[in-house]
Amino acid sequence: MQPVEHLHLKHVLQTVCVLEAVVLRSFGPEGGQVLFTRDTGQAMLSRSGTRILTALRLEHPLARMVVECVRKHSTVTGDGSKTFILLLASLLRMIHTMACKEPNVYHTYNSRAAAEAATARRLADELLAFALEELDDLIAVRVVPYGLCVSWKDITAKSQSPAYTNCHYAQKLLASFFHTRLGHTHCDFISNLTCELLRHWKFKNDLPSSTLQFVNDNFPALHTPVLGFPISCSRLIEGQVIHRDFATPCPQTDCQPVKAVVFTGYLQQKLLSAGNVLKVGRGGQEMEANSKKEKSIVEFSAWSERSLECVIANLQRLGVSVLLSAVKQTAAVLSLAAQAEMCVVECISKDELSLFAHLSGTTPVSDCWMIEPVNVATLTFCRPILLGVHRYVHVAFHDLEERVKPCSLVICGPGEGQTDQHACAFQDAIRMLLTTCRPMVHQPSSRVRWSQAVLYLLVGHLSFS
Amino acid sequence: MALNGDDEDFAWEPPTEAEMKVIQARRERQDKISKLMGDYLLKGYKMLGECCDVCGTILLQDRQQKNYCVSCQELDSDIDKDNPALNAQAALSQVRERQLAAQSPAPSQAPELSGGPSSSSQASVSVPRPEHCEGAAAGGRAPPLPPPVPSPSPPASTTTLAPTRPPVCPQSTALQPVLQEAEDAVLTKLRWATTQLQSSASLEASIQLCSLIASCANSLRSLKELSQ
Repeated sequence: MQPVEHLHLKHVLQTVCVLEAVVLRSFGPEGGQVLFTRDTGQAMLSRSGTRILTALRLEHPLARMVVECVRKHSTVTGDGSKTFILLLASLLRMIHTMACKEPNVYHTYNSRAAAEAATARRLADELLAFALEELDDLIAVRVVPYGLCVSWKDITAKSQSPAYTNCHYAQKLLASFFHTRLGHTHCDFISNLTCELLRHWKFKNDLPSSTLQFVNDNFPALHTPVLGFPISCSRLIEGQVIHRDFATPCPQTDCQPVKAVVFTGYLQQKLLSAGNVLKVGRGGQEMEANSKKEKSIVEFSAWSERSLECVIANLQRLGVSVLLSAVKQTAAVLSLAAQAEMCVVECISKDELSLFAHLSGTTPVSDCWMIEPVNVATLTFCRPILLGVHRYVHVAFHDLEERVKPCSLVICGPGEGQTDQHACAFQDAIRMLLTTCRPMVHQPSSRVRWSQAVLYLLVGHLSFS
Repeated sequence: MALNGDDEDFAWEPPTEAEMKVIQARRERQDKISKLMGDYLLKGYKMLGECCDVCGTILLQDRQQKNYCVSCQELDSDIDKDNPALNAQAALSQVRERQLAAQSPAPSQAPELSGGPSSSSQASVSVPRPEHCEGAAAGGRAPPLPPPVPSPSPPASTTTLAPTRPPVCPQSTALQPVLQEAEDAVLTKLRWATTQLQSSASLEASIQLCSLIASCANSLRSLKELSQ
């Protein structure tokens, strides 16, 4: 066995053709699903080209590079990874055929392989130049007149409204996308759900792409996967779902509004943290004349508890009843909070806390000695919610200025693999809409980016040989 | 896109029909290889960064760390059928070609082909056409040789065959070494197929190995009939 030192054109072609054979059977609305299983019994079901390709075990450097290109492409566009591979394979085949048919200039090159490689490189360069200079105009003149323009209003308009007659085109766009991802049974339902989600999150006086960008960036915090239910049980819930449970019993209070504070650090000073040195003395009554008064560990923990009591008293004065923490608080904090009838939620992820801070218009507390009113969020309610087998925290925001109706998406599926597939399909649909609605003036269009990616790959690798 | 550069100063002929067939066959074979490799990748095989020494196809590795070349081990080779050392029909085609080439320039040289002490009546023995090698009746045969012993004792069969080859074989000297080579090659392949069959765990591979053994036995039988 010899390692692939010189990458010949036929190796490039063979690698991409193998990847094409892998995704070909899942392509299109009638395409099949691929079921991946691990030794642990975990199963993943997918029709998405990116998921299938990234799940393969590939050590071949060119194959890994192609899969990385596909992944990056899919991160931006949300769709089209199988198409990418099919078009790449087709281009390479054509270049290979043309390079082999071209007369071999024996007197210039050492071997037939070198001659073929040079021809192929020249063809790839010409293709790249065509894509950069002429493809845009060609599409604008020959393709766009046969297409449809889908605007933001179409996506977010209610379907009953007679004014927007184009809205069913937008529904069709989403429905066909979900058809290729999830099958034909539920594609309409899911596309309606997506439009409803976007309608709720429409920021006033903002560009549509910023709404889509916001939903795309915060999607992990905006959706909750729930296992064990059919997909038709997916729905929207108002407010935000924080994917943690209460650490202290939640008091059943009906008083509104509920005040909450977000902490990013520890309320109680840690006794010993990494890198610090705590000098502890013997303490006690007897002291020498010139020595400093040394404190013992007992006195130190008594002091830290007193300071904690001050913090809790401060919070009580501000009327706070919910503490949201990014880290795990100590047992003393939990017991004091429970005594003061405050509920604590710990170990919340950074994304969810930043979303919470954004929606409530507050800033998290970094120093627990300085708790200002600007750190206090006002909520309509904060109560537990049971979704599937998990109990989460459900909050609703009070009096938002931008008239946004925040809502969270509950995505159901019979098993873990399918629920994961549904959630990925949702996120890819948002990305696909984002690419579609993005203004084309200032940024290079996605099709040029695609063709650039393809041809950099080709030119880069044909220069190996 | 301009396909022809400016610096080409010779004529290019389009590929002939034979070349087209070869190109088409090669492309189909490559497609088959790609499809098989894709199936194996989906079954959990790993694609390595190495190529097979023999055919240049990318190697796969299964869960037991065993390397696997799809084209060598699963598809029939597309050049083996033309190799006279491995295929009886190709060997006979080559012999026939040589015979024709030797006979066509000077028919007076025909008696010199026989060589050896044998009578010249056998000088123009007709080599049976490859399609008819299986039951060809060439006149004036020596008494039939004992039938070739098939595996599992191929070494024994080579030793039994060698001494029983009659030295008074009325063949042309050009034919004899070719047949001998062909027989040795077939026996080697038979031996190899047997060992592969013993260690094979796949149903498809076993079926193909059995058919290989059967065709090796047939080839040996026809070579025996030829050398008589």
